[in-house]
Amino acid sequence: MIVIDSASPVPPFEQLRAQLARQIQDRTLAVGTRLPTIRRLAADLGLAVNTVGRAYRELEEAGLIETRGHAGSFVSAAGEEGRERARRAAVEYATVVASIGLDTNEALRIVQAALTKGIAASPSPSP
Amino acid sequence: MSEEAVPEGGSPVRPAHLEIARLWLAARGLTDVPPPLLAARLTARRRARLAASVLLAVFLCAAALVYVSALPIRPADDELGTQRRWALVVLTVLVAGVVLGLSLLDRWVRRVDQQAGAELPRRATHSVRPGWRTVLGVPRAALLAITYAAAAVLALVALTVRDGAAKYAAVILLIGLCGVGAGTAVQLRHVFTHPVVADDEDSLKADFLMRVEDAREVALPTVVWSLPIVSVFDTGLDPWNTGWLVFMILSIIALLLITAWEGRRALAAQHASSAR
Repeated sequence: MIVIDSASPVPPFEQLRAQLARQIQDRTLAVGTRLPTIRRLAADLGLAVNTVGRAYRELEEAGLIETRGHAGSFVSAAGEEGRERARRAAVEYATVVASIGLDTNEALRIVQAALTKGIAASPSPSP
Repeated sequence: MSEEAVPEGGSPVRPAHLEIARLWLAARGLTDVPPPLLAARLTARRRARLAASVLLAVFLCAAALVYVSALPIRPADDELGTQRRWALVVLTVLVAGVVLGLSLLDRWVRRVDQQAGAELPRRATHSVRPGWRTVLGVPRAALLAITYAAAAVLALVALTVRDGAAKYAAVILLIGLCGVGAGTAVQLRHVFTHPVVADDEDSLKADFLMRVEDAREVALPTVVWSLPIVSVFDTGLDPWNTGWLVFMILSIIALLLITAWEGRRALAAQHASSAR
């Protein structure tokens, strides 16, 4: 399900992009799933076609979806690769933490701070 | 009649319509959806269905009148006379009127939906839009297609192998089938493409159920079963008309079986979800 909250300070295209990205990352939308057309989704959500188009474009640039001409937009396998990259980065980070003898709680706080900083840079979706 | 204001600045809704919406939601186990969101949409649908039924009944009566107006026809008379040509022109105009009328009724329902959607501060939709397979179901879609195709084949064969009154009846039947088929296609297209009106998971489910009910209502081939009665059955129960009767009875039995199967499946799904 996608929800657009008009009262939210987060722009509608970002709400849409973030929700679709989350659903792709948590596999609610499986690889190969065909997404609704831009016009259809714009009509359903009461948004401008350009707004939905921008969200799709950003998802495409992030490698989460791919557009196959007139066939439409599909969830790409890149989402799985992204998950694997994150796992590899976590292993590397854990190695660094262990090598410098950092406390686990402190290591987690550093990750938390980094994630919070990242989310602040990119507004979070509405609930 | 007294009126009750809808929360969040929506349009006023009659208490009777609100009660109908409450009952509709309760029957589907949707207790968290505010009835005002649905009341206007359900009212519009009820009125549109009533108007569509009247429109189709008038069309059937008019088709019967068109057929009767060009009688008697001699069995050996294969050519269409001036009177019958004019009768067919009138029928074609009537068919166009029916298609236009059904389309306008659906447009009105969609406009009511859009107005309801415009009042929502939040808009919810499916990440992946349910397609016709989910909304209408393959068995009903197949029944609809087979019913129209079989009726058209029966009429076309009658047109080529029979003569006189039977041939004229087949022309009337074909024109009627084309018109009602076009009207059904327009209505189904509206059902599958109209925007979702929902603001959370429960109202999204209500919208989906409404869409399913709309599609099933439109996909009932009742007019295809009624059209032969207008003209085909005036010659008594010969083998050809017996064929028509068998076709109609078989398709009605198929509809009953599909409805019973869907009912059992819905019940099983309900049991499965409540057991979880």
